[in-house]
Amino acid sequence: MIPHDSLVEALSRFLPEQRWFGAKDQTVTEVLVEKTEVLFGEFPVLIRVEAEVVLQDNSADRYHVLIGLRQPGDPAIFLEGKAEAVLGEFATDLGPAYGYDALRDPELALKLFELIAPDLGQPERVRAVAAEQTNSSMIYDDKYILKVFRRLADPNIDIEVTGALWSIGFHHVAQPLASWNSGESDLAMLQPFLAGGTEGWALALTSLRDHYDTAGDPAEAGGDFAAEAERLGEVTAEMHLALASALGTSKGDVHSWVRLMHEQLDRMNHPEVDFERARKVFDLAAEVETSGPALRIHGDYHLGQVMRTDKGWYVLDFEGEPARTIEERRMPSSPLRDVAGMLRSFQYAAMAAMQVSQDQPIELAESWESRNRQAFLDGYVAIAHPGQILPADLPSLDLLVKAFELDKAIYELGYEMAHRPAWTAIPLAAIERILSQA
Amino acid sequence: MTQPFGEDPRWFQRAVFYEVAVRGFYDRNNDGTGDLKGLVEKLDYLEWLGVDCLWLLPFYQSPLRDGGYDISDFFSVQPEHGNLADAVELLDEAHKRGIRIIADMVVNHTSDAHPWFQESRSSREGPKADWYVWSDEDQRWSDARIIFVDTEKSNWTWDQTRGQYYWHRFFSHQPDLNYENPEVQEAMLGVVRFWLDIGLDGYRLDAVPYLYERDGTICENLPETHEYLKRIRKEVDALYPGRVLLAEANQWPSDVVDYFGDGDECHMCFNFPLMPRMFMALRREQRYPITEILAQTPEIPEGTQWGIFLRNHDELTLEMVTDEERDYMYAEYAKDPLMKVNIGIRRRLAPLLENNRRTIELFHAMLFSLPGSPILYYGDEIGMGDNIFLGDRDGVRTPMQWTPDRNAGFSGTDFARLFLPPSMDPVYGYQAVNVESSLRDPSSLLHWVQRMIAIRKQHPVFGVGTFEVLSAENPSVLAYMRQFEDDIVLCVNNLSRFPQPVELSLAKFQGKTPIELTGKIPFPPIGELPYLLTLGEHGFYWFQLVDSQ
Repeated sequence: MIPHDSLVEALSRFLPEQRWFGAKDQTVTEVLVEKTEVLFGEFPVLIRVEAEVVLQDNSADRYHVLIGLRQPGDPAIFLEGKAEAVLGEFATDLGPAYGYDALRDPELALKLFELIAPDLGQPERVRAVAAEQTNSSMIYDDKYILKVFRRLADPNIDIEVTGALWSIGFHHVAQPLASWNSGESDLAMLQPFLAGGTEGWALALTSLRDHYDTAGDPAEAGGDFAAEAERLGEVTAEMHLALASALGTSKGDVHSWVRLMHEQLDRMNHPEVDFERARKVFDLAAEVETSGPALRIHGDYHLGQVMRTDKGWYVLDFEGEPARTIEERRMPSSPLRDVAGMLRSFQYAAMAAMQVSQDQPIELAESWESRNRQAFLDGYVAIAHPGQILPADLPSLDLLVKAFELDKAIYELGYEMAHRPAWTAIPLAAIERILSQA
Repeated sequence: MTQPFGEDPRWFQRAVFYEVAVRGFYDRNNDGTGDLKGLVEKLDYLEWLGVDCLWLLPFYQSPLRDGGYDISDFFSVQPEHGNLADAVELLDEAHKRGIRIIADMVVNHTSDAHPWFQESRSSREGPKADWYVWSDEDQRWSDARIIFVDTEKSNWTWDQTRGQYYWHRFFSHQPDLNYENPEVQEAMLGVVRFWLDIGLDGYRLDAVPYLYERDGTICENLPETHEYLKRIRKEVDALYPGRVLLAEANQWPSDVVDYFGDGDECHMCFNFPLMPRMFMALRREQRYPITEILAQTPEIPEGTQWGIFLRNHDELTLEMVTDEERDYMYAEYAKDPLMKVNIGIRRRLAPLLENNRRTIELFHAMLFSLPGSPILYYGDEIGMGDNIFLGDRDGVRTPMQWTPDRNAGFSGTDFARLFLPPSMDPVYGYQAVNVESSLRDPSSLLHWVQRMIAIRKQHPVFGVGTFEVLSAENPSVLAYMRQFEDDIVLCVNNLSRFPQPVELSLAKFQGKTPIELTGKIPFPPIGELPYLLTLGEHGFYWFQLVDSQ
């Protein structure tokens, strides 16, 4: 439909501009169009393209682009003010046309729904989810959400894990209603839209706002979050138990977990981190005798990945940390890695709210964090009994959680140094606290 | 007897109710206790306020050991409240003003002073021997919970005269009637007919879940109980169409809906769990306590309606919240242990909300717009307070505050003769809070409530419309859409004490213009993008969505 060379040229310009493009810090050396498929052959045309992007370090990522084509002169109001969504003009089989990101086009997005889920009736309206990093999601009639994957991986972990959890009876995930595949590739997943839901992050900030304004004991604050945190801990434990039975467990290898921690620490360089003591925290964890099994985990677990709804907490997005390779993300690990991720998120929320409510003593943030950490852990341990998917005794659990938390904080420090230098104080404070308790 | 109203038998779906204690409203004969004639005198006020239906607390003959819920004669009026002729006059005068009246009826039990019980206890052989529930042992039905845990140790009490235990789900001076006995069933139907014949517009049926007892059950919500209620309904439909039965069943929503039957049992039921959750949502500054319970609330049959309220004559009841929520509510709203009674909190609306005008308004805005018919509690419309130092639940039953004069303008008697002292609190007392001053002050809460009722009555959608909670990222904002034919109303509430923004996905209504209902102000039309609103602290909006010009 589109001449190959002009498509390659357009994509080379277009891809690095997209929010979901993963390698913004690298230059693209080559774009290889692997596959094109015409889904609708008349205007407005819909074409699906799989392209491999080769980067300067010779690594390659596969991307999935949906291209819409309309005739010149067709006023596409949906593109107004969205220059980055335009691919440019092409001489196509149907004559001259301009191409653009088809998901911005409500007409095409609605047709795509029918293509993927012909049995679910024809939706009337569609809107795009703003502020997404790695995928593009469309909401249909406030009833369905279609997550279109932008980086292709086979199989897609989100589909794999969400499907496994749902079918084993863990229903704190949105049910996978349909998926869209082409050959080996998972292209998109359709789920019910959790109407009325709020991200855990926003709910935590609501509680913090109240706590900072009252400036007292967080347990006394009207907006106390502990009950929510405890239920979140319970749901997290149920999720891990379900992951263990759905996708299996293997013997936990605490030495390899700790080795990875040391490796990450080696790559880190910051004058305020006491490396000696950090190594000690890791080594103490390595001495734990029963570390609990390794299982498939969420991998990128924090308050932004959970959603409070009228039916309790839901867990979203099982793709793992985008910076890691697919193999790393699918590797079984300790569920305590997720636990540590959520615990870190409590501190991030408390500190983020503090940056908004200035002039509040840091003790207020700490008291909120410590209350909700404890509530989360209480809820978690009550469901995931020690000895089942957890270390057999609480002191071992404590050592491991501490090590995973420190590991996570060191990862965060690296991330903040590279991307948000103003935020380095948050992981630094956590590192300092963990080391002083060791 | 015909009722002087239009033909709409479903009037209760759109009505605004007002709960009033005759005892505490207005004392016409200056004996220190409110009376039916006093209520007649205040009907003009209630008409002005916009009330469609009064709900009277029990005014029947009673030893008054439980605020009149211990009835000793179903067919006569408590003498200090007046007599039967006064009741007839009240009904006539109210009907002239387009106001209906329903009254409490206690079907579950009587006072132990009732002649039926006196006869029943006096002999195991007499004609009324089986009118109450007697037993030689006190262990039967031990799974039935004790409701008044503060005063009662058991649901059985020993009667020395008869030498047996009798069953009572409430106070020990309130023996339960034995509905196994067909004579009791008939007798109570006779009671129901009696007041409807006089012109009463219906009943608020007190304590309905407990009529029957069965082994191996908790003796609540039994099928036999529903059968009997259906029998009452059949009688009402046949002889008194347009009258209403409102069930008091303090149960979880999934159990309460059974009291609607298939539209062939009670016309209305109270929605008990909603109210404490409104308070909780306010304290947490997030909507989930409310939306959660609404999500668990099943659809109700065609032609029925919820009764919703902010406060009533009983404590703020916490039976239908989880233990964790109960602890939380106690901690937040009952900082003084005196404020707790049984499983609840005995406070009036204004003190519960720390006399914050904005939250009081927000609560009324939700009361008037959530699904159900709103029931106001006398005195809350002017912001009356409570007196927690009075015993039991009397603290929320003090005299209505009419004027800043002697005895709050409630009675011309000596202060010492009053059935309860009016509130003399510096903030909530009658010198600060009363109807007369509120009427003079155009910005008073009373005028505001009156205006909101008037707006509500212009929009039947609030009574009969569909209800849909809208998605909002901001958890402090509760937004919902009410829709009835082409009357579409959008309600947005800010549960936070800070201003809040919210983006609502209203694409379905693209092209319509939201008209703010209190001032008829057109807001920018709804476009393709999410609709952005900003709300002040504890602010709310009611918008009617109309086609853009």
